[in-house]
Amino acid sequence: MAIPVDLKYTKDHEWVRIEGDSATFGVTDHAQEALGDIVFVELPEEGRVMAIGDAFAVVESVKAVSDVYAPVASEIIEGNEALEDSPETVNEDPYGDGWIVKVKVTDGDTSHLMDAAAYAKFLKE
Amino acid sequence: MSDNKLAKTPLFAEHIRLGGKMVPFAGFEMPVQYPLGALKEYQAVRSGEAGIFDISHMGQVRVTGPDALVFLQHVTTNDVSRLVDGQVQYSALLNDRGSFIDDITTYRIDGNSYYLCINAANRHRDVAHLQQQAVGFDVTVADESDETALLALQGEKAQALLQKITEIDLDAIGYYRFAVTTLQGAEAIVSRTGYTGEDGFEIYLPNSSATAIWQALENMGAVPIGLAARDMLRTEMGYALYGHEISDSVTPVEAGLMWITRLDKDDFIGRSAVEARKESGARQALVGLKLTGRGIPREHYKIIANGREVGEVTSGMHSPLAGAGVAIGYVEPEYAGAGALSIDIRGRAVPAERTRTPFVRSNVRK
Repeated sequence: MAIPVDLKYTKDHEWVRIEGDSATFGVTDHAQEALGDIVFVELPEEGRVMAIGDAFAVVESVKAVSDVYAPVASEIIEGNEALEDSPETVNEDPYGDGWIVKVKVTDGDTSHLMDAAAYAKFLKE
Repeated sequence: MSDNKLAKTPLFAEHIRLGGKMVPFAGFEMPVQYPLGALKEYQAVRSGEAGIFDISHMGQVRVTGPDALVFLQHVTTNDVSRLVDGQVQYSALLNDRGSFIDDITTYRIDGNSYYLCINAANRHRDVAHLQQQAVGFDVTVADESDETALLALQGEKAQALLQKITEIDLDAIGYYRFAVTTLQGAEAIVSRTGYTGEDGFEIYLPNSSATAIWQALENMGAVPIGLAARDMLRTEMGYALYGHEISDSVTPVEAGLMWITRLDKDDFIGRSAVEARKESGARQALVGLKLTGRGIPREHYKIIANGREVGEVTSGMHSPLAGAGVAIGYVEPEYAGAGALSIDIRGRAVPAERTRTPFVRSNVRK
């Protein structure tokens, strides 16, 4: 189970990569594994403003529908439109080409997020 | 993970060995998928391979005695007198209100001996109903579910694989026909039936033989298939599933199953109610829908017409072959044939067109 050290994580199994005042969100390797084959991704509209924990996208596998929640307060810059034709990319490369949205961070507080070690421990519990 | 209240099939250890992800289903712990994943399992069955399914959770009832035929004519909807030895028939058990107790298959072994395959979730209710109705008939109703394993081998290569472990000429078994034979020393029923729309067989075995036959087929390349892929395969074919398209709140008139409800035979349980419903008109109609917009229709999603809810999805999926979301659902009768429909997906009305089922080509041997 891959858990890159340069990312932050939520208890709902999203990851966030913060670069200055922008960030990228996706779902973790654990999440894609638990969901199984992903067959549909519903992306948010550009400009949508999100508080921490707001559901902003939907990832659907063969059997399950899962909301994806905002790890930090932010505004949508763009969704990963390649996922509309190739949703399986989320399974194949959850931390790379399987990213879900890029955002502008509106509040940089990440104290509620886990680092890789804490997330690894959380998964074991 | 394991729940002591759940039953296990004789193949439970095989599912664990193969890495199956076990979930509760109809009172059993069953594999929803294996490490290959539901999509690739589905593809193995649809695209020229063969898949092997453990469906031992399903129930089996043997009906024997001089009154077996008249009894089955009384309790089932289809015309059992049309069956010859070695033939299978899709049928149903109705209650007095004409609605479904279960949908079943009826196997005629000989004129005094029949075999029914029933849904796992309805097993105890079916058996109680059959035994209650058997009073006054010279017939024995025996529930053999606990002793019987059931494997399905489905896909283009099914016959070639199964032929390697049986002496009988499988090619001689037509669609919805079966043979009683011996497989690796145990008595088995091998029928050319299934729930996938592909050619293939269902194999009834004593529990003690299940693992050997499963392993033999798996070792020859049959791909283990879990419940998720099984549901994709059946939904793509538009096959009804108890608890979804059929239930004790609909009759064969609504479910589009008048073709297995023979009003031209003698009286049977539920017949007068079905006739009355046919006369008064269906209260809802089952339709096949294909999304023209993006999204995946799922069970219980609302079907919309003119801004108003006119029905509900009973089964839905993303069909890899159709390249679209497809659904089966009930709508108010006036929307069965005309009027623009859409499906409410998280507040978005996604347009859908009525489509005949199956949604993709059936490859069953006719």
